[in-house]
Amino acid sequence: MATEQDSSYAQGFGQVSRTAGLVFRYLLLAATMFGIVTLAVLLVYVANDAIQPLTADAGWHLTFFLTLVLPTILVGGALYRRNREALKLGGMVVGALLVSLLFSGGVAIVFVDIIPPLTGFSYAVGLAVAVAGTVLLTKYETQIPFTARVAATGLLFFLSLFGVPGYFHSIPELVQQAPVVPTDWIILTLVLGGLTALVVGQYIARVREDTKAGVAAGASALVLTALGAIVGPFVGIDANALVVVTAVSFVPTAAYAGGSVITREELKPGLVFAATVIVGALVGAVAVDALGFAGPQAWTDWQFLTSSHSGSAENAGLYPAIGGSILLMVTVAALSFPLGVGAAVYLEEYAPDNRFTRFIDVNISNLAGVPSVVYGLLGLGVFVTYLGQATGTVLIGGATLALLILPIVIISSREAIRSVPNDMRQASYGMGATRWQTVRNVVLPEAFPGILTGTILALGRAIGETAPLIMIGAPNVVFNLPTELSSKVSAMPLQVYAWSSLFASEDFYTKAVPAGVVVLLAVLLAMNSIAIVLRNKYESET
Amino acid sequence: MSTDDLEADLTRNTENAPRELLTRSFFFLCAALSVVTTISIVGLLITEASKFFSLTAPLMGVAGETANLVDFLTGTTWQIHSKEFGVMALISATLMVTIGSAIIALPLGVATAIYLSEYASPQARSILKPALEILAGVPTVVYGFFALIYITPALRVVFPNIGTFNMLSASIVVGIMIIPMVASISEDAMSAVPDELRQAGYGMGATKFDVSTGIVVPAALSGIFSSFILALSRAIGETMAVTVAAGAQAKFLNPLNPASYLEGALPMTAAMVQLLTGDITGGGLAYRSLFAIGLVLFVITLIMNIISDFVARRYREVY
Repeated sequence: MATEQDSSYAQGFGQVSRTAGLVFRYLLLAATMFGIVTLAVLLVYVANDAIQPLTADAGWHLTFFLTLVLPTILVGGALYRRNREALKLGGMVVGALLVSLLFSGGVAIVFVDIIPPLTGFSYAVGLAVAVAGTVLLTKYETQIPFTARVAATGLLFFLSLFGVPGYFHSIPELVQQAPVVPTDWIILTLVLGGLTALVVGQYIARVREDTKAGVAAGASALVLTALGAIVGPFVGIDANALVVVTAVSFVPTAAYAGGSVITREELKPGLVFAATVIVGALVGAVAVDALGFAGPQAWTDWQFLTSSHSGSAENAGLYPAIGGSILLMVTVAALSFPLGVGAAVYLEEYAPDNRFTRFIDVNISNLAGVPSVVYGLLGLGVFVTYLGQATGTVLIGGATLALLILPIVIISSREAIRSVPNDMRQASYGMGATRWQTVRNVVLPEAFPGILTGTILALGRAIGETAPLIMIGAPNVVFNLPTELSSKVSAMPLQVYAWSSLFASEDFYTKAVPAGVVVLLAVLLAMNSIAIVLRNKYESET
Repeated sequence: MSTDDLEADLTRNTENAPRELLTRSFFFLCAALSVVTTISIVGLLITEASKFFSLTAPLMGVAGETANLVDFLTGTTWQIHSKEFGVMALISATLMVTIGSAIIALPLGVATAIYLSEYASPQARSILKPALEILAGVPTVVYGFFALIYITPALRVVFPNIGTFNMLSASIVVGIMIIPMVASISEDAMSAVPDELRQAGYGMGATKFDVSTGIVVPAALSGIFSSFILALSRAIGETMAVTVAAGAQAKFLNPLNPASYLEGALPMTAAMVQLLTGDITGGGLAYRSLFAIGLVLFVITLIMNIISDFVARRYREVY
């Protein structure tokens, strides 16, 4: 009897019903996918509303399928089986082209429409003179005491940028009053093309380990940019626009592709993939035009991107809001980056372990949890009511958003700084470096990619914020680009809000708002992908 | 002579050299800015809000219209035109969004965290985690538009009498928005559970299901709980989604009655935006009521953040 019981017990031992475990596992997976799938469906809906792909001719779809989709799938499939790394490079090149095209649009808005090229050029010259003077001063580092040098540098910058009214012209004034001023495209070629050429030249020189190759690459980059301006008018494209796009998008993408192939010969097939996509898209566009197929009647179109708000949804556009968002972002970055990194450096490198430091620590994590409307109230109360600034300007909008993202910048910068190995600091101190020298030469360069990633992600948060801008009184409708820090500003999410609740009508819901949402999400996607690529690269290096 | 110079040079204390002093003070000022920000927020909210109440306005030297503090805290009617400032009408709406989003985000977030930390392969995790981050990265005004244009019409199929503005669609999008917050903090807590505990469970013959629900979740409970509070505090402070989707009419609804989720109401944050987009003059009673709501909002979120921090510290199992 007893043995029978034992054996039945032994039979059951080790047998577990797998059903519960399986059901649990798939429930978890379903829960994980719920949010992602819901958002994906919503994004498909909004993209469909904004781009209306079904309004295009069947021939249009067929042409692009034959020239773009099919070759991409074939080449991509072949590469996926043989050389996955090369496919990755090809994808990166195409992605870099798209993101940099978007970026060049922003650069064009800032350096052509917001700041006239001549004004920008004059300040660039003034800045260059001041920087040259500062470099000269550092040559005499040992002779001049530090405090005198700081004062001299400050004076130099002030005099060359602002001058002394009535006595001494500033350099920007002198340049602007010069009898012969270069035309806009020459200025853009010199400034933007020159910067690109410098960066490209240094990059190629490092990759090839050959200074001559770097100089040659830089020179050809400059020539290519200038060529864009000369060729542009013949093919019906604005010379300024083509110069900006060449300098900001085409040349850097080409340099990235070339540089990657030089360092790793086996990645060359990746360029075939990139070429297939780019050539396919171009051939498709030309063929559709030649065959007379109508494309989709998208609401996110050139007209939408380049015109301002209008009473009717068909004519409404996002242009002033795009410009506003860009200026806000520049202001936010200029304020929050130095302050956030400075605070992170203090807390990680300098702060003694005392009560005040711990208080700052707790305080920052609490600030990160304060709702954004409350930051808006802070901006309204402090900047508008107490400091008497005008409502809704770029400056107070930027300052409010900078305060909002400051805790995030500080927290992510601290993480980046903390991940710098302590051995490196000790080595630096062992060489007799002071604390500041260690921070400047060892800690910050090592932590820089991590800091940059965190800052870009935080800027992405700032660009999507609406509530603080409403709180500081940013107007719902702005018809002109903001040109100064004291101009009234609108922003992309604010414009979307205005359309979706103040101008609420079926027309705006189905046309202007989806188009605006798609543009806003495209910008965010570009920023986040830059941050993620940076992070992956950084993580694989360390 | 020269060796003396050299020795002086080598033993010089560089801590207080002008350059070191300058850089150190700059960094210190940057860090101190966060304290200044907090003091400004607290100071501003308290001074402006105290001008709003009849109890404290004389102390601030403000004459003119004021509101009764008790009426403000217990009143259930919010009507600016008839000067009725009962913040309970707004708090009830905020509470509804919080409860509604919690019902969605808390179970889904914890399930996501268990899946990511216990079940997912590294490859699946490397795809799912950035995808979840996107949920939190979409601007909230876009979520509000989604709720208004796509989710509400879809809900109308199930609930024919749902309003154009309703708490249900707002709660759903806010819930989706805060899933990543619950998931990532809970997952961190679960990943911190040492593998020995899991191995011990498997050694006792437990299945993966038993280990996940019986060992990992209880061990990570403090982290999970603190993620709940943080996410709910985020839902309370969430502004644009509820402004666009929840409605513009303040109404006192019973948060525990499911039927009231089909109606629209005005959460605190949406009321603040509405006050600003309407024509209010600086310095008026409506303007000051803005800061009174702001103070209530700030105090609630601050208390929740502090509780979350306390729970995470106090009840953390240290291994």
